[in-house]
Amino acid sequence: MKVVLACLLALWFAAGLARADEGAGSAAAAPPETVPAAAAPVETPFFAAAVAKGKLPPVAERLPKDPRVVDLAAMKREVGVPGGAWRMLMGDQRDLRMMTIYSYARLVTLNDKLDFVPDILASLDNQDDKVFTLHLRDGHKWSDGQPFTAEDFRYYWDDVANDKRLSPSGPDPALLANGKPPKFEVIDPLTVRYTWADPNPGFLPALAAAQPLYIFMPAHYLKQFNPKYADKDKLAGLVKAAHVMDWGALHERRGRQYRPENPKLPTLEPWRNTTKPPAEEFIFERNPYFHRDDTAGHQLPYIDTVRMVLSTSSLIPAKTVSGEADLQARYLNFEDYTFLKGAERIHDFQTRLWEQGFGSYAAILPNLNCKDPDWRKLVRDVRFRRALSLGINRHDINQVIFFGLARESADTVLPQSPLYKPEYAAAYSNYDPAAANALLDAIGLDKRDKDGVRLMPDGRRLEVTVEGPGQDTTYGDIMELVTSDWAKLGIRAFSHTSHLDIFRQRILSGDTVLSIYQGIDNGVPTAEFEPLDLAPLRDSQYQWSGFGLNLESAGHQGIKIDMPEVQRLVDLYREWRRSETIADQRRIWGEMLSLYSQQVFSIGIVNGTQQPVVVSNRLHNVPEKALFSFEPGSYFGIYMPDTFWFDPPKS
Amino acid sequence: MLTYLVRRVLIIIPTLFVTSALIFTVMSLSPSDYFTNLAAEMAAQGEKVDTGRIAFLKKEYGFDKPPVERYFLWVGGMLHGDFGYSFEYQLPVKDIVGDRVVLTMLLSFTTIVFTWLVAFPIGIYSATHQYSWGDYGLTTLGLLGLAIPHFLLALVFMYFANLWFGLSIGGLMDPRYFDKPMSWAKFVSVLSHLWIPVIIIGTAGTGSMIRAVRANLLEELQKQYVTTARAKGLHPFKVLMKYPFRMSLNFFISDIGSILPAIISGGELVAIVLSLQTTGPLLIRALQSQDMYLAGSFLMFLATLTVVGVLVSDVALAFLDPRIRMQGGATK
Repeated sequence: MKVVLACLLALWFAAGLARADEGAGSAAAAPPETVPAAAAPVETPFFAAAVAKGKLPPVAERLPKDPRVVDLAAMKREVGVPGGAWRMLMGDQRDLRMMTIYSYARLVTLNDKLDFVPDILASLDNQDDKVFTLHLRDGHKWSDGQPFTAEDFRYYWDDVANDKRLSPSGPDPALLANGKPPKFEVIDPLTVRYTWADPNPGFLPALAAAQPLYIFMPAHYLKQFNPKYADKDKLAGLVKAAHVMDWGALHERRGRQYRPENPKLPTLEPWRNTTKPPAEEFIFERNPYFHRDDTAGHQLPYIDTVRMVLSTSSLIPAKTVSGEADLQARYLNFEDYTFLKGAERIHDFQTRLWEQGFGSYAAILPNLNCKDPDWRKLVRDVRFRRALSLGINRHDINQVIFFGLARESADTVLPQSPLYKPEYAAAYSNYDPAAANALLDAIGLDKRDKDGVRLMPDGRRLEVTVEGPGQDTTYGDIMELVTSDWAKLGIRAFSHTSHLDIFRQRILSGDTVLSIYQGIDNGVPTAEFEPLDLAPLRDSQYQWSGFGLNLESAGHQGIKIDMPEVQRLVDLYREWRRSETIADQRRIWGEMLSLYSQQVFSIGIVNGTQQPVVVSNRLHNVPEKALFSFEPGSYFGIYMPDTFWFDPPKS
Repeated sequence: MLTYLVRRVLIIIPTLFVTSALIFTVMSLSPSDYFTNLAAEMAAQGEKVDTGRIAFLKKEYGFDKPPVERYFLWVGGMLHGDFGYSFEYQLPVKDIVGDRVVLTMLLSFTTIVFTWLVAFPIGIYSATHQYSWGDYGLTTLGLLGLAIPHFLLALVFMYFANLWFGLSIGGLMDPRYFDKPMSWAKFVSVLSHLWIPVIIIGTAGTGSMIRAVRANLLEELQKQYVTTARAKGLHPFKVLMKYPFRMSLNFFISDIGSILPAIISGGELVAIVLSLQTTGPLLIRALQSQDMYLAGSFLMFLATLTVVGVLVSDVALAFLDPRIRMQGGATK
């Protein structure tokens, strides 16, 4: 049964439970996405000279035969004028990947309603999450003008993902269903198919992720680094010239798509890097073969160049205020808001506030794997975690630190998510010191010393250090208030910050009992997203990094899960990975969210905090209000920066 | 003299060897490394780095080999000009440092010249007019420069330079000249930004140099030969310049040893605050992210410069001051 993916998922999303009960496999043919008739393509001024000289084919030949037509009117945006340069400020060379995140061209993307829509793909057929048939756009080309075809998928699958040298641990876990790889087939030059024996519901979210799963690579470029295809002597010369060990290292370095360091690597993104590192400024130029256009026939992106200037990250607010960025959010914090707002009088920009997508801006994470046996017993006692949560006056924190603009909530999904239920946010997040004290007394912490500090069973005072990473000073401010709240419970808390690396090491080694860190990453999931934050899967989940490491390393390292509630979360996660219907996925999400918030595995404080976004007054189509998060949304990516445009300079 | 020279040169070799071993050991002692650090930073944003990938990268960069072997690979590479590979920049260390060294040297030379131009006249004036109002006033000014933290001064300067002169915040040039070949416009842009770090880094150096010039000169001024020269009716300025001032320069030459590395590393903290494209921020960043070979090679470079600087100043002193030379001879 062939269904246009976008419509299928839109239906899932809209129709909700009612439809879901039918099961995903029986999806009915939905009407095709209404695509407005596009005008004949108009040549982009930026390339006009090159086209006139014959160095570049005309725009009609550069676009695929069936480009993705972006209906700006339907998105309530304006059709723009090509041209201009977007200046942005970044901290260091690693931030080059922000371009891949912001520009957000993927095989499948999320739209601003969080539906999956085909983007680089013309369409995608999904049969029961087991058989995925990918249809490419006819005439789609890489940024160097070479055709983008099934060969690029085959090259990745055969010669990269299944190559011992390039992928010693085999294909990416997102490409495995129940631990088994798919059968890969090339149907014709524009069609490829992945077939799994078991459902792989994580496949589409992985393709559409901010940090995407790449299942294709520019084969025509990378073959020169692969001894299967390249001339041996020539390749040996390249390896020597690049000062690397062997061809594998060279292939790995030249072929990085996520962090576009290699200006020669062809890309499908709207802008391509033209600057070879190291550099202080990276200049990205529009991709002449980009596959989207607007209804007036302009090839996207509108903006010709992106200039990424590297600077000390702590200077970025000051540089932004002096008008050195056109669209900037990274390295700006809420505490810079008044500073930014004040500069609007001098410089031609606006400071908007977008909502952040974390489950909690700051959450206190009890380390269930801490070394101290007495403390471990305490933090594993759900009554203790609940008491800590009930003892925090979130309202005051919101008023004092966030001017009342944040939302007092447990660490859970945000109301924008279709999975949200008020009881998750309300679970133990009200301020009730009496109940908290009663819980602590019930645990057996009823003895106090003359200062009113509770005593642990072995006679130690109930004193704990809450450790945090140093980069965010707001954590320190929050801890000031939490410390005074907890003093009323008879708990002496101290806060300590260290470098992110040391912070993490201390948690991994079990030295840290409580830490303060951001809450769940993806606060606005739909049921189709993997519930990655709610079960111990990675060592970077600081409430149970020992458990996480154990699962991540298939039981070789870390600490085996010995808490039934945590094991239940892992079982539920595994069930989601095997799930075949959206109804199952939604049910699993609900159970996990409920368990997670009832068990208070992380003590959320506030969420829905505001991210300042500085937007030049000359820049159009940037939303006034929006969600700002890495996942879902790729920060700006989901709002399609290729459709942002500048007022042409006044002549 | 020749044997002295040879001995001094030869002793450089074990010194540098021990230094390199120390640098490598200290950096290997850290329980984490660049890759776990990278994983932590990526995880902070919600990005995934699976353990298989980290293990792959570690192998890729030879981190699966024992530390001793890695040490000798590193040192061996340095002997023939290969300073290793930077993880963060994905480039040979040589290529990264190269561009920045020129700007750093420009900045440091200008700063040193600035320091001298300000400190010498003031120092001489203070010494010859000891305990006058001028002496007190100028000394206070110099000490103030020494006492105010650099980075604070940098922030204040940057703010007003932007407000009053419209200079871009931080950096050694306007962003539009980044990575462009040198041109007159770029040169002007560099000059218009250069004065801020020069004054800021220079003030502290000036303060201590004023005191040093003053103290050395005062000591000489009280000596009998000065009185004799004056008594013979020599012009006071000539007396000052020809004898006591020259004597007081000894400290200055022995200072070359510390100036050489300072030229390369000069004013890291200020450079970070001002976001200068010099080598200082590069080193700090490399140390923070545990970009081992970049940081290690950099520190080795600084160590070499220090050792060479000390040698140069010792030799220069021996040449310039007959007393030192003679003493050296007498002990043999």
